[in-house]
Amino acid sequence: MREQVITRDVVANPKSVYGDKKASTRQFITQRVSGAINIAFLLLLLFVVVRLAGQDRPDMVAVIGNGWIGLPLAVLLVIVTIHMRNGLRDTLEDYFHGRTYSLYMMLNTMFCIAIAAVGVISILKLVFWG
Amino acid sequence: MTVRSRPLSPHLQVYRWTITMTMSILHRATGIANYFGTVLLVAWLAAAAWGQQPLNLVNDIYGSWFGQLVLFGFTWSLIHHMLGGLRHFVWDFIIGMEAGQREMLAWANVIASVVLTLVVWTLFVWMA
Repeated sequence: MREQVITRDVVANPKSVYGDKKASTRQFITQRVSGAINIAFLLLLLFVVVRLAGQDRPDMVAVIGNGWIGLPLAVLLVIVTIHMRNGLRDTLEDYFHGRTYSLYMMLNTMFCIAIAAVGVISILKLVFWG
Repeated sequence: MTVRSRPLSPHLQVYRWTITMTMSILHRATGIANYFGTVLLVAWLAAAAWGQQPLNLVNDIYGSWFGQLVLFGFTWSLIHHMLGGLRHFVWDFIIGMEAGQREMLAWANVIASVVLTLVVWTLFVWMA
């Protein structure tokens, strides 16, 4: 469903606006900042996976259960989900419009919240309750 | 919030295939792959929090040949998307946009992602 017919004139007009100017600038900056922080996430993820791949629970508790590793991992995971939601929004804006877009965006938000919630709760369980 | 539709051009059918176009598509594709790949990480963390039995199941699946294949692809996808993001940071400073430079950056992106993935798996999986 298109709300506005895109004609040659609309595209050629430099004053044409697509989407929300203020929100788009905020989303652009959010994506850059969270993307930069995600490099730290990948380094920590590499460390955790190399130490723990295929290991048993006591080893997982020993490494992720250490608050100095588990808590930064939880915070960085939340930032990853913000980046995920923002990035998929970019894709959804290109291919869906109107109510279809809103529906997919809601599913996007729910998926990212679920990932963040399950990840953070699991890490906190390992940190505080072993 | 609703958004107005973006203009779409039939570029895939009209223009000759370029390396920069390929990297743009791969950046989006790896982004979507990473999006769903987080399920693999969170399932592992949740299994570890749950108990030894679920963790054994996850470790068996991830340790199987198919699981390893998926994790290898996930590693490449994460590294490729990270390097693509760094390329965007370079472009944000209006550097590397000239003809030749952008193709060089695009090739560097794909070559470095494959090399880095192989280095990571060689060091931490195959030689470990």
